[in-house]
Amino acid sequence: MSVSPSLLEVAGLTVRFGGLVALDGVDVVVAEGETVGVIGPNGSGKTTFFNALTGLLVPAAGEIVFLGRRLAGLEAHAIARLGIARTFQASRLCLALSVFDNILIGMHAGRRTGVVDFVVRRGRFLGEMRTAIERVSHLLALFNGDLPRRGFERVGQLPQIDRRRVEICRALAAEPKLLLLDEPSAGMNPEETAELMRDLQIVREEMPGLSVIIIEHDMFVIEGVSQRVVAFNYGRKIAEGSFAEIAGHEEVREAYLGKEAARA
Amino acid sequence: MSHDLALVWLAEAAVFTLVVAGILAERPWALGATGAAIVAAGALVRFVPRLGTTLAGAFARRRPAALGAGVVLALALPLALRSSPYWTFVATLALLYVTIGQGLNLQIGTAGVINLAGAAFAGLGGYSVGLLTVAAGWPSWLAVLVGPWVAVAVGTILFVPILKTRGHYLALVTIAFVFIFNILMNNLEFTGGPQGIKNIPTLRLLGHAFTTKPVLAGVELPSHANFYYAALVMAGLTTWVLRRLHDSWLGLALNTLRDDEIAARCCGVSITRGKLLAFSIGNFFIGLGGAFYAVMVGFVSPPDFDFGYSLVMLSVIIIGGVDSIPGVVLGACLLVPLPERFRFLHEYRLLLYGVVIVVMLLYRPQGLWPAQVRRYR
Repeated sequence: MSVSPSLLEVAGLTVRFGGLVALDGVDVVVAEGETVGVIGPNGSGKTTFFNALTGLLVPAAGEIVFLGRRLAGLEAHAIARLGIARTFQASRLCLALSVFDNILIGMHAGRRTGVVDFVVRRGRFLGEMRTAIERVSHLLALFNGDLPRRGFERVGQLPQIDRRRVEICRALAAEPKLLLLDEPSAGMNPEETAELMRDLQIVREEMPGLSVIIIEHDMFVIEGVSQRVVAFNYGRKIAEGSFAEIAGHEEVREAYLGKEAARA
Repeated sequence: MSHDLALVWLAEAAVFTLVVAGILAERPWALGATGAAIVAAGALVRFVPRLGTTLAGAFARRRPAALGAGVVLALALPLALRSSPYWTFVATLALLYVTIGQGLNLQIGTAGVINLAGAAFAGLGGYSVGLLTVAAGWPSWLAVLVGPWVAVAVGTILFVPILKTRGHYLALVTIAFVFIFNILMNNLEFTGGPQGIKNIPTLRLLGHAFTTKPVLAGVELPSHANFYYAALVMAGLTTWVLRRLHDSWLGLALNTLRDDEIAARCCGVSITRGKLLAFSIGNFFIGLGGAFYAVMVGFVSPPDFDFGYSLVMLSVIIIGGVDSIPGVVLGACLLVPLPERFRFLHEYRLLLYGVVIVVMLLYRPQGLWPAQVRRYR
């Protein structure tokens, strides 16, 4: 494997909630085009890690460098505009808005028309919108050929798996360089999880330059999509390596199964 | 299909006739008959599904014709109401509430910024007109154009720190602001205290004062018809602008931050900027309504802008449909004239608004004309 330049460098990242240390000196490096899996028991700091990366939480210590730029002090919306997009463990779609609207908001930061165009030079805005909706339709069709047709329906009318797809499309619509997926298979049955894996494969093929960090409890998904795995426990990074290495790692087995069982 | 066209115009003519009859009917039997006809028409559309869908389809296919006929009927209203000049005034008031309601709807409905200080921002517009014309001697039309900016400026300066807070804090602060505004207006020397500002000069157009009665096609109309037509233009323009703002990147961003701030931030939407934009644009139109009110009635005083009017503005939105542009128009046209018709309830008006809001929130929270999905057409 060739050494690609690193897109994201996280060093000594520490997040505290009062007296609780939720993240404790975490170092993670992600290369361009790489998919990194993040595993760990509940409460081990995985989502906190994402929240710190996206600027929703202010770290107590440590540094995040993205594209050679330090993210310290930037607000969440500014970080998003630099090219970090994410999905959430519990769906954060606007159920009353249409499928298209839920994805179009991902392209909001890249808009080229302003208030004057919205009101007076309406044609410019509508032209931009037409192209945007075409792009959104194309993204949706990658996952489910039926979805573009339902673009003007409210997203609340879609089944769970399609809502997850809409959320992924919203993140992709921003044309990010780094995509953070927070437990995409949460609440899905085995068939849906298999579909989701196929979806992630499509993302890989369509956007080869995109780096992905994926939090998952489903080891089947982690094994299938990630080139490298990072394991968290109690806010610390306890292991890093290929899936096979991590699966055999003693501390990881302990974290999941307890000391006694891991030894047995 | 000319079939559609006939249907659309027939429906609009029927509504117009019922409205005019409802307003002008004096004798109990006439009022009763009109009321029964309105209820029957409503029930017919509501409970004969085929009629409802046919009408909706016809209106959708014939939008320009429907809008055109609507404009013609709106222009003809003062003519139909000329036997009772007071009602032209009420209709003008309803149009002011359309303007104000559209501004407030951008804040409350589209962006979820709960502003209960609508009366105060309208008051800022109104008092600015009073001070600029009476004290500073500006022409009325200039004062009406500048007044709304005072509402925008005060709102922006006072509320920037508060817009960052979440949840209901902003709502509480805006309630406090209405009361502070009223206390100030009652006590400050230069705003005239409890008497307010009197003798605000009226608008003039090409030397024609708005207080003189206009003559249309040989028929003399009540003097308020001047204001009615001006308010019609204002409400029409406001609705047009806000409809376009709603169906745009701005409306989409505001809807997203209303429904989920975290998702919006992670999509690159600046919450502070979005809320501030919605708040400022909204206050402009609320202030514009207040400024127009000042030149129309010729004076402003504290009770014209008390908290009760904030609630009226809020009910316009809730009745019509939160985040719905046509809903605001419907809400204002229903909610402003109805209490006037039922005079005997007048003292209980606030109670009536309260009851109507509770009933709507319980049984039809989306309003009479719910918000539609954006189509970008």
